[in-house]
Amino acid sequence: MSNHQVKIISLALVTALSGCAEFDLEKAMKVGSDAVQVAQKVQEANKPLTEPQEIQLGRGIASNLLGASPLLNNAQVQNYVNQVGRWVSLHTERPDLPWQFGVLDSSDLNAFATPGGTIFITKGLMKRMNNESELAGVLAHEMVHVLSKHHLAALQKSAKMNIATDLAGQALDSKGNPILDKAIKAGTEVYAKGLDKDDEFEADRKGIVIATRAGYDPYGLPAVLQMLDSANAQDSSLALMFKTHPAPRDRLNLLDQIMANRFDGYTAPTQTDKRFNSELALLK
Amino acid sequence: MKRLYALLLLCCLPFAAYAESVAYTVRPTEIKQQPYSDAASIATLPDKSTVGILVRKGGWVQINSKMGKGWVKMLNLRSSSTATKPADNGLQSLFNLGRSGSSGVTVATGVRGLSEEELQNSQPNPAELAKLQGYAVDKRKAEKFGSSSRLKSQSLNYVAAPGN
Repeated sequence: MSNHQVKIISLALVTALSGCAEFDLEKAMKVGSDAVQVAQKVQEANKPLTEPQEIQLGRGIASNLLGASPLLNNAQVQNYVNQVGRWVSLHTERPDLPWQFGVLDSSDLNAFATPGGTIFITKGLMKRMNNESELAGVLAHEMVHVLSKHHLAALQKSAKMNIATDLAGQALDSKGNPILDKAIKAGTEVYAKGLDKDDEFEADRKGIVIATRAGYDPYGLPAVLQMLDSANAQDSSLALMFKTHPAPRDRLNLLDQIMANRFDGYTAPTQTDKRFNSELALLK
Repeated sequence: MKRLYALLLLCCLPFAAYAESVAYTVRPTEIKQQPYSDAASIATLPDKSTVGILVRKGGWVQINSKMGKGWVKMLNLRSSSTATKPADNGLQSLFNLGRSGSSGVTVATGVRGLSEEELQNSQPNPAELAKLQGYAVDKRKAEKFGSSSRLKSQSLNYVAAPGN
């Protein structure tokens, strides 16, 4: 609710009251000011988190995810994925977020994004990729969850809390802030349950565009989805990914519909193949 | 018959091919000589034709089919080897029941570090978080990476969702 709307509602209330037979100006003013307060509270409740709050919350969740799976202990691979990811992130509407990327030492096939710009990809998923465009496509998909604040919305809904309001006026760097801790815990659970299907479709739809903007093959992400579609669904390394995402077949059908011939003019870079393969060799 | 043909295709494919390389068309699909829209057409595969996948190049895949070898658009194909995905009430969950952390809901759990249960019960790992932050690169370094890789930035708007 905008300030303008707040004023209009308050004015309407005062005007309505002033039409009463026994008009009590003082009472009307009091009701009017109460209305302003209520309206301001509503406005407060719809307030988004500030960017530093979003980043702080996301880092707390990232720390929890790292508690479930540590980083792959290979500085070269981590550095490579950070360079690809940060380059791709420059082609989003939030290029100045402190984007950071991590390869998790897990044989699962999955990727995660936490609020404020932390992106994880598992070693298992990276090993199934064929080139840098596929990596860029998956990272771009995850970036959309950050850009559109999908996890923030999901956690506010599931924990029935309004983090922005609850955190208002509190020092962020205080250790063990109970509200932030609650939000981090609720936030981590979102990764076990997954996002709405529409959030995943949006991430695919926008992710292909972001990767293309960064000079990569638009078909990198669809190729990964083809791989997932043909993978053995009973494989336990895919259990969480399949549980928390729409079926790869449905995701492919959506991309098929929106891509049509639109992306025919973009070529796939091949000059990045050699370095991708040498990074891949380090994952063996 | 289609299944038999898929099996035959598998046998005839080069040694590098494996089960996931068999696909079928989801619409009538032109086989092109080269992976370009304006390349010459070899034949048109009817809807639901079985093909063997050889290699992918951008949005195109090279295929083998009874109507010839050539290139078709990747998204005209879907994999033939898609198994039944594990449903919430499927066999998978019968074999693999566990109790999730705080929600108290019974859920299927895996045996790895990133299972549903392990995510719900995970504890912060500030040491790894610090390492993660150490790997981050700044904008300038990323720009240098992009240009030295000859990756060309191009402007492109998001595509609307179907029906919008």
